[in-house]
Amino acid sequence: MGSAIFMEKVCVLGAGSTKYGKLADSIADITTQASVAAIENAGIDPKEIKAAYISNVFGMADKQVHLGPVLMSNLGISDKPSLSIESACGSGSVSFREAYANVAAGFYDCLVVTGVEKVTHTGTEWTTTYFAYCSDFFYEGQAGASFPGLFASMARAYLNEFNATEEDFARVAVKNHDNGLLNPKAHLQKKITIDDVMNSAVVASPLKLYDCCPFSDGASSVILCSEKFAKENGGDYIEVIGSGRGGSPAALQGREHMTTIPSSKIAAEAAYKMAGITPKDIDFAEVHDCFTIAEVVDTEDLGFFEKGKGVEAVREGRTKLNSDISINPSGGLKSKGHPIGATGVGQVVEVFDQLTGKAGARTVKDAKIGLTHNFGATGASCAVHIFQSV
Amino acid sequence: MSVKEQLIAKAKEGKVLAHKCTKCGFLHLSTVYFCQKCGSKGFEDAILEGTGTVATYTIITVPPAGFEKYTPYAFVVLQLDNSDLRISGFMAGISTPADLPIGTRAKITGFDECGILMEKQ
Repeated sequence: MGSAIFMEKVCVLGAGSTKYGKLADSIADITTQASVAAIENAGIDPKEIKAAYISNVFGMADKQVHLGPVLMSNLGISDKPSLSIESACGSGSVSFREAYANVAAGFYDCLVVTGVEKVTHTGTEWTTTYFAYCSDFFYEGQAGASFPGLFASMARAYLNEFNATEEDFARVAVKNHDNGLLNPKAHLQKKITIDDVMNSAVVASPLKLYDCCPFSDGASSVILCSEKFAKENGGDYIEVIGSGRGGSPAALQGREHMTTIPSSKIAAEAAYKMAGITPKDIDFAEVHDCFTIAEVVDTEDLGFFEKGKGVEAVREGRTKLNSDISINPSGGLKSKGHPIGATGVGQVVEVFDQLTGKAGARTVKDAKIGLTHNFGATGASCAVHIFQSV
Repeated sequence: MSVKEQLIAKAKEGKVLAHKCTKCGFLHLSTVYFCQKCGSKGFEDAILEGTGTVATYTIITVPPAGFEKYTPYAFVVLQLDNSDLRISGFMAGISTPADLPIGTRAKITGFDECGILMEKQ
């Protein structure tokens, strides 16, 4: 594999998640539950953990910011440092990237990376309003652009530019719900049809309710470590072979093309280059499908399909589980749910489960290489990671 | 007046305050502090007409707080005439996609507590 620019190979040694959905427990509780699940899955002593990376956006909604020390105290390692990272809906992957860089650089040999969100108790109006603070608020949120509205603006441009229909977008939702039915931790475990999507209430034209992911609570956690640490601790692990980050203009108005997300392309290119592979080598991908249009755009930006052809791939069923390339075998944000601070870490949990044979009925057959793609807001921030089974 | 206050004052006149790089001539919205093209910090004001065509839009039926009185409304990205600049705003009284095909002529008409107001031209 590609150029080894860091001293340490970095591995994921364990992974765990709470269920995604409407959860009763507090943000501190679910942060701890997911972290404990990852520690137990890795089979390590918590005292081996040298630091924690926490991703979260709306801690204030559940009266707890500064989550790191609370987690560390609960894990019995209150002397260990922690850091909270916010990058809107991309917080999880951005936090994972910072943790990755610290292990790769040799600062720490074992970290816990935990993402969490707890918002459903605040209600739809609160969440819609506060999520809009993740946009370039002066130009977008303030002018009435909800998040569905911003992706709807991308969808409208895509419909205008390419040979696509609203039914095509609906197929993304149907596919991801089919996958989510096989995931016991998914938020929306319900089979749906194209008609269900088309007949659901319009949220922001042309997007309807079933084109949108749900607001979810949930927490996900992984144990990230050096290869030496992973080998010494014995359990199943996977290797991180590519890591890339990118940025885009904060507002849609700053982008020449509204049917592509620049940060996705930049991050993917960097990750592929580091891994020394091309999109054709990817067996499955967990991509950021906050809205159906996003998955179509993502699969083009990540190089799986040419610009404007992602929609044809969906129509032809080429992104279904165990087809040409399995996109969102977990059910994606659409069905698995989108606890925004947890999502990017949750994608890594899915890749770990897939590549270590723990994905059950939704297993991608013979998969060796998986990719995660997670962005903040309309893709103003993005991180892509590539993993390989060992 | 801050740069944003100046932008708002111009929007109320139906115009857009842009910043033109004095080194390379690249045009930006006035809230930018360094040239995106050459990195220079020198700008001069350029007042553009707030007219153009709809680059993309959506019609919002589930609004954020504060927009109840306008719902349904369109959030619009406007491609300004005679420049590569685009600017966002919202347009009341739009209820179906047939009301606002991409490419429709539109103009900035003001600014209220909710942002830049637009109307079809």
